[in-house]
Amino acid sequence: MESTRERTVLLKIAKKKTMISLTLILAMMSCRDIGVEGGRNDNEVPSFGVALLTSGPVSDAGWYGSAYEGIQLIEERFGARISHQQTNTPAEFDEVLRAYATSGYSLIFAHGFEYQDAAVRVGQEFPEVTIVVSSGGRVADNVIPLIFELEEGSYMAGVVAAKMTKSGTIGMVGGVAIPPAEATFVGFEAGAMSVDPEVQVLVNWIGSWDDVAMAKEAAVTLIRRGVDVLIHNTDAASFGVFQAVREARESGVEVWAMGMNRDQNDVASEVILGSAIIRIPEAFVQIATLWSEGQLTPGEAHYAGGRSGAADYVVNPNLSDKYDPELIAEIDSIRLGIADGLIAVPRIEFLERAGGSF
Amino acid sequence: MKDSSPWLALLVSLMAVLLTAFLTATALMLGGFSPVVALQALIEGSMGSIDNFLGVTLVRAVPLILTGLAVAVAFKSGVWNIGAEGQFYAGAIAAVWVGLSLGDYPSFFSIPAVFLAAALAGSFWAFIPALMRIRLGVGEVVTTILMNFVAIHLVSYLVRWPLQEERGVFPNTDLIVESVRLPKIIVGTGLHLGFLVAVMLTLGLAGFFNHTVLGFNLRSLGGSQEATRVSGRLNISSLLVVTFLLSGCLAGLAGGIEITGRTFALYEGLSPGWGYTAIAVALLANLNFKAVLLTGIFFGALEGGSGAMQREAGIPAAWVSGIEALVLLSVLASDRLFRRLLGSKWQLKLRESGSDG
Repeated sequence: MESTRERTVLLKIAKKKTMISLTLILAMMSCRDIGVEGGRNDNEVPSFGVALLTSGPVSDAGWYGSAYEGIQLIEERFGARISHQQTNTPAEFDEVLRAYATSGYSLIFAHGFEYQDAAVRVGQEFPEVTIVVSSGGRVADNVIPLIFELEEGSYMAGVVAAKMTKSGTIGMVGGVAIPPAEATFVGFEAGAMSVDPEVQVLVNWIGSWDDVAMAKEAAVTLIRRGVDVLIHNTDAASFGVFQAVREARESGVEVWAMGMNRDQNDVASEVILGSAIIRIPEAFVQIATLWSEGQLTPGEAHYAGGRSGAADYVVNPNLSDKYDPELIAEIDSIRLGIADGLIAVPRIEFLERAGGSF
Repeated sequence: MKDSSPWLALLVSLMAVLLTAFLTATALMLGGFSPVVALQALIEGSMGSIDNFLGVTLVRAVPLILTGLAVAVAFKSGVWNIGAEGQFYAGAIAAVWVGLSLGDYPSFFSIPAVFLAAALAGSFWAFIPALMRIRLGVGEVVTTILMNFVAIHLVSYLVRWPLQEERGVFPNTDLIVESVRLPKIIVGTGLHLGFLVAVMLTLGLAGFFNHTVLGFNLRSLGGSQEATRVSGRLNISSLLVVTFLLSGCLAGLAGGIEITGRTFALYEGLSPGWGYTAIAVALLANLNFKAVLLTGIFFGALEGGSGAMQREAGIPAAWVSGIEALVLLSVLASDRLFRRLLGSKWQLKLRESGSDG
């Protein structure tokens, strides 16, 4: 009996609490308009909205972080309203792109090839919005792949490698053999060949981007076969390559390593001659500039390379004494040659015009 | 033992939201963010408009409801299936494979075919741990988790080699044709047929467990396997197999529905851990199927709303995940708290039997 009465009282209290909570939720929902206005700065009207989607954390000091830096630069230079969302699954790509498109973001950076299918779908729905897909492979009128011409940086690295080698054999350790990665090696080989057509270039693909042990093994194998300048394109697995080179040097073999993608010179500053790099923030700013001036060609990929300074080769300041002054001058002239279009670096095309249903 | 009502779960969820609002507001202020802007982005992003509720919350709820049901079925019958994640991927693989190889047939034929393939694949993925438990006595907690990793790596292999897109550039499959894609329930929103499937399965399962002999037997298995065995009436092994298959089938179907309803191709990392979130979805619902429907929607709203929190309120993803976790914790805490206040039969029963102090 008593427990029943107790329960009735408790139920009454609970009901009251529910009413209160419901009222509070309603109150919160009704004051949302006031809140939004209060949250934004009304003095300055943003020129346009720029959004960024990444599949990983922007705190990675690498691929994702540079993209975030890119939109921050755009905010600074154009007074644009910026926003970023980190996505967790391909299943939400459409939803997030659509959310940005409907809330006034007219330039959307989808930072990774994984967004390409969703970008085409949402692009068809919102023709007035421009979606830039980093390393994407599908082109539509308002879906623009941003292709980083890392091969131009690795071409310069190839020149340096061919100059530095004593054995006449240079090597490359690759991650997964996808076209953008293969392109960097084609560029590296072409650069080396331009110096010495006799130079031997050995390649070893490990089938992974982050398997440090495998990368190290591949590097050791190449070094045993006489490679004395070794470049990679493996993301996190590159530590294995640098480790192999370090150990080979400790055992008295004269070997050098080279960095790729971002400036890795300080990762192993005693063995890395220099790095072939892409400058993602600069490429983003360049796109925003073209876009705001209406100069971004619809239906065409945007190439970010040596021409705009987005691809480059950076000498490791720690080891700059290993470079012949003549070689430094040559690197500068090649940089200019690529920028002026006098030097044509071979590239691999993998773009596809989007048609049919997506 | 009657299960607590789904409305209780809703009530608990609402209370928890309120409790969480206070906790998160404090956390947000400590981080230097405006809690008003953040929380209203959370609410508006998930249910601020019909579009958001249908196209964000309900769509996101579908995989959570289905995997939640998978977990609830298993746990109710005393099978600790932690492998909904792997079974989800098995279903997704089968769906995309059948979807791609079917070609262009009428939807009323190809969509059921794809669903069947996904369900069978999910069941198959659960059948292996079932065999290992029955024949070898290996606990399914370990085997189902391990099968998750096998499935995740199988996807990585398949999208790079046998199932890679035709042009052979990127690690994903080609897109399935229009006729294999789920129609939208309401045109103009993202809400696809999968939600209806989830609702029907929920009601079907509730009916099956409460009103059929097999359902009763499964419940008695979950109540006490030993008692069921001693009663000598039932074949425990076959009941266990049925449970594993049913659970795997539901999770596999979730994978098939994500492929045919949302992504239309298989990508790596398709599931951000739905198979594990499903455990929270099922437990929060007290393993009640109809309540799973509501907790699934609640989790869907939370996921959708936290996306809006990043976009609208500019709160970094790491903070948002922290807040999501905070919401979860306070929901679980208030679940116990409010259930006790409301004096559910379950609590009374425990008290009577003296096991609650």
